Amino acid sequence: MKPIVQVEKLRLAFPGSKNMLFKDFSVSFNKGEKVLILGPSGCGKSTFLQLLSGIIPGSIDIPCRAEALEIPQEWGYVFQDPDAQFCMPYVDEEMAFVLENLQTPREKMAERMEELLSAVGIRLPALHTKIQSLSGGMKQRLAIASVLALKPEVLFLDEPTAMLDPEGTKDIWDTLKKVGRDKTVIIVEHKIDHVLDFAGRIILLDGNGNLMADGTKGEIFARHRTELREQGIWFPGVWEEYISQIPAGSKSIPANGKEVISLSDFKGIHGKEVKIHVDDLKVQAGEWVVITGKNGAGKSTFLHALMQFIKTKGNYLLKGKRILKGVNPAKEVAFVFQNPEFQFVAGTVYEETAFSLRMKGLEEGNIAAMVENTLRVFALEKQQHLHPYQLSTGQKRRLSVAASIIADPDILLLDEPTFGQDAKNTFAILDKLEEFRKKGAAIIMVSHDEQIVEGFATRVLAIDHGRIIKNEYILESERAGMTCTV
Amino acid sequence: MYIEWSPKETWLHQINPSLKLLVIISLFTVMLLIDDLNYLFSFTIAVLLLFILFTGHPFKRILLFSIPFFVVFVSTSFTMILFGKGETTILKFGLIHITEESFYRGLLVGLRALATAALGLTFALTTKPVLLFYSLMQQMKLRPAYAYSFMAAMRMLPIMAEEFQTIRHARKVRGWEGKKGAGGFFRKISAYSIPLLSQSIRRAHRIAVAMEAKRFRMAGQRTYYYQTGFSWNDVLFIGYFLVVLAAGYYFSAEWPYFKQVNF
Repeated sequence: MKPIVQVEKLRLAFPGSKNMLFKDFSVSFNKGEKVLILGPSGCGKSTFLQLLSGIIPGSIDIPCRAEALEIPQEWGYVFQDPDAQFCMPYVDEEMAFVLENLQTPREKMAERMEELLSAVGIRLPALHTKIQSLSGGMKQRLAIASVLALKPEVLFLDEPTAMLDPEGTKDIWDTLKKVGRDKTVIIVEHKIDHVLDFAGRIILLDGNGNLMADGTKGEIFARHRTELREQGIWFPGVWEEYISQIPAGSKSIPANGKEVISLSDFKGIHGKEVKIHVDDLKVQAGEWVVITGKNGAGKSTFLHALMQFIKTKGNYLLKGKRILKGVNPAKEVAFVFQNPEFQFVAGTVYEETAFSLRMKGLEEGNIAAMVENTLRVFALEKQQHLHPYQLSTGQKRRLSVAASIIADPDILLLDEPTFGQDAKNTFAILDKLEEFRKKGAAIIMVSHDEQIVEGFATRVLAIDHGRIIKNEYILESERAGMTCTV
Repeated sequence: MYIEWSPKETWLHQINPSLKLLVIISLFTVMLLIDDLNYLFSFTIAVLLLFILFTGHPFKRILLFSIPFFVVFVSTSFTMILFGKGETTILKFGLIHITEESFYRGLLVGLRALATAALGLTFALTTKPVLLFYSLMQQMKLRPAYAYSFMAAMRMLPIMAEEFQTIRHARKVRGWEGKKGAGGFFRKISAYSIPLLSQSIRRAHRIAVAMEAKRFRMAGQRTYYYQTGFSWNDVLFIGYFLVVLAAGYYFSAEWPYFKQVNF
């Protein structure tokens, strides 16, 4: 059978980079295949997908050469960021944009839109709905609907669920399984839980874009575990392996731990509306509290209320001191944002790390020693003279955590710190946080990862509609069956 | 953070947006050429009538929007009135010297500012940006590449506003406070604009790639979801201003509200 997508002896290099990303790389795909491409972050998976679709060099000009390149006639591409693939404000206008490109007659547009939206399971009261009012999962389904308008033979999926919560992720894969059944589907994805019962073949790349393995998923996961682990790629069982290394009994809270946060009848208000309401909550030093809940349930809002980013009412005691209006709790509490770029304040990695110490007014000699030590621990020594923006995604995340905990705050709040990170980085960050907690700090973090709850959390708070609906201590891992509900 | 207005549709909304834009730009030019206070006064009244009665927005909102206009009117006219030059003195008190000439000149400049603002806002309040671009593509042959780039850019504004808020929070958490003075001001600007811009440039690039992946081409035929054409409302709109200009001229010659003054 003639392959539908094929590339032979591909060579590609980013301008200004000394190393070639792909060197004599050959691969082909047959009609109807469902293929997952795995590799460490920055190995060129997305670049490869863009090349196979003709986006490179059609839309993005990158020098590349191949002896043979077979690109599908009709293809569709779903991107990862739901906010960066629409150009119009309303659902119908966005769909119309694609239909106009295809020169669909105006009279047929409405009918076609209904058809495509129902194929991806979007039911709206009106077609003229603001895209901004949709959830992330809905936005991605809209993206799939507009791609289906192109009547593609091949679907390219570039981490379509990277920005979604577990529920949205499942929705998207259910949709894709349905609409992609009779199509060739080539997928790049970190979060592989739902992909594996869809994709049959896996292509494994190393950090330089070399082909490490190509085979059925059974073969890959049976024979290439070491490579997968070394490259920091998520694979089934990697969490279990990691958690099993954690020494037993590490999930204990110091008995004499001081109460660091105490809330009663605490309300976070945004635009005159009570967005989060906590009747009673106490957190003591040495706790690791994980906050779970759906998108929009109020998890981040709760952290924002604790940081006083939004107006609050009720009793809020921080280390016994009452937080009143206008008090900035940032002296005792550090906050790690979801997007690390937004919190960088200095021009180099070194200065960024030193910043909080300087704010505290420490001596220059002490600062140098502490910064060097921290950079070593977080594996950022070699990058210390770079601008924070020049780091890789994983390094940026590590730097944001490093800079936040260097000044030893008593409480650390984190908003999905392991979001979109590969296995290696995720585990590195968790190790650092666990060390920090053992020194006596309290950690409160928002996360969707059930494994973090299992491996590290000493307590879980589930939030729904702005209310805490579950408050449960997990003093030893759940495998031991020792949970105690409060 | 998204401002949502859903005004009632009036005949002003139904005018062809390109035509509305052209008419309003020519009216701006006409206004600059009117040096007759009586004539300009009639014209301003006519513009204000449209602004107050026919934009389809609630009266409260119209009043709210009128506040800055009033301030502009008062401030521009008063600087001229109080400190202008002239021969027929009405009042003199220290620095303040009001003459008949300066009084009329001040009113003229003030009215001009008022009418410009009201006309511009009437346009903004009755024109959907998306329809304006569709009309520019269809009637004025604007290249789709420009039209869709603008529309995509507008979609990014509310996202940028949210990001700005996040950066503010992040600065607060890190205890970063800009220093005072000019140097501090520039440091503050760069502290906010660099992350915002770097994020926006990347997003703009991604949107552009996504648009091309959806088979958007710089040139070539396309169909239009919104068909914009011409209607009797367009005739009404042009007719209204023709009548106003003609009647204003007649009134200023026959029944002037103010004494005619030559500057």
